Amino acid sequence: MSRWFSSTPASGPALGLEPVAPAAALGEALLRLAAREAAMLEGQVNFLTPELLQADSLVREAAGTLEEALRSLDRSVQGQHALVEEVQAAMNISLEGSQESAGTASFGHAIMGTLDHLLGHMSEISESTELLVREVNDIRERSQRMDDMLEEVAEIAGRTHLLSLNASIEAAHARQFGAGFAVVAGEVSKLADRSTALSSTLQEQVQGTRLALERTDAHVHTIASKDLSLAQQSRGESEALVKALEASNGTVTGLVARLEVNARQISEQVGHVVRSLQFEDLVHQTLMACLKELGNLQEQAEAWKALEAGLGAGEPAAAGLARLEGRLGEIEASRVQFRAVKSGTLEAGEVDLF
Amino acid sequence: MGHCILTVDDSSTMRQMITFTLKGAGFEVLEAGDGVEALEVAKGKKLSLVVTDVNMPRMDGITLVQRLRALPEFKFTPILVLTTESDASMKQKGKEAGATGWIVKPFSPEKLLEVVNKVL
Repeated sequence: MSRWFSSTPASGPALGLEPVAPAAALGEALLRLAAREAAMLEGQVNFLTPELLQADSLVREAAGTLEEALRSLDRSVQGQHALVEEVQAAMNISLEGSQESAGTASFGHAIMGTLDHLLGHMSEISESTELLVREVNDIRERSQRMDDMLEEVAEIAGRTHLLSLNASIEAAHARQFGAGFAVVAGEVSKLADRSTALSSTLQEQVQGTRLALERTDAHVHTIASKDLSLAQQSRGESEALVKALEASNGTVTGLVARLEVNARQISEQVGHVVRSLQFEDLVHQTLMACLKELGNLQEQAEAWKALEAGLGAGEPAAAGLARLEGRLGEIEASRVQFRAVKSGTLEAGEVDLF
Repeated sequence: MGHCILTVDDSSTMRQMITFTLKGAGFEVLEAGDGVEALEVAKGKKLSLVVTDVNMPRMDGITLVQRLRALPEFKFTPILVLTTESDASMKQKGKEAGATGWIVKPFSPEKLLEVVNKVL
């Protein structure tokens, strides 16, 4: 460092001037100080220019990034609202034939209700049908037995009638001795006729019972058929509900995936905003460095004014110049030798873990 | 119990951005505007991490790191320096003072969280 840039306050000897220096020496010293001032000013302009340009660049970049991020955020937030509405709509699909809307929980309740109803109904019908079948079987067995018995009664009636006929023939052979026997044979024949008539009536009744059983059978089949129909109807309803639920679930899953993508985009935009808003600190530090340098310029101007005032007041030129040199040296030494903010962009800075 | 992090910066914007990022990740965050305030806030607190700026009024970040490291309760607490300074000489000063890491501003939220989770 030359003596002109010494940070120590300059004195007479530093300038190489005698207390009463010849005019030529003073003029030379003044030229040197002027040259020094010019160099300092040049250095200060060189410092301030990039600092101010950097501040300008940071502000422009931050404003641009913030504007873009906010636009994107606005779009994302609007998209998010639309997606949330779609999710709500998908979770409130109206059941076919129902005035009320139903969410996933309602779907579940509806399915469970249908199944519970079906099971209850099936259980009741099953119990009734079992009883009915048992009763029908019992009647059928009894009817069969009655039928067998009637055949036997008919056979007995036939045999009795034959016996009565034989008795009448024998009574005819015995003439007057068989008259009483013929009366008995006639009564036996009458009984046989009544047995035959009774058997015939009973057979009609049994036939009627059979027909009733057949009708009961038909009823049982109808009940069974209704059971099947109800089961099929319930199954159909349950399948429709499950399909609606699956469709709703698929829609919601797709929408949730889109919501996740949107949320990631929002998070990225928020990251840009966070990074961009740091321009305030970077620009603040840059401007503080500029203000410091402007303060140095002000002090330099004051030093020159002091020289002017001193010379005007009759101060020896050598002393005035020496004081000026000392002051310029102090200002030079206090100047910040590095830029406060090196990064000219708002890209994330480096990370170094020790 | 969650981690409590002290962030120290003279810029309120920076403090807000750091707090926004860390709170969003579920951390409890305390704030201080300079080294002197940071020492007062840290007194008696169980801090998991300190994130400090360097250039601050009253007490700079490097001095704060030295003062914290002198306290037994902060001898092993991770301290990250978050600054505009990127000179190797400044980094070396930070390292010698006892800083755990050096992050140059501006920070991206995801990168800051990545580093924070690494040192915790």
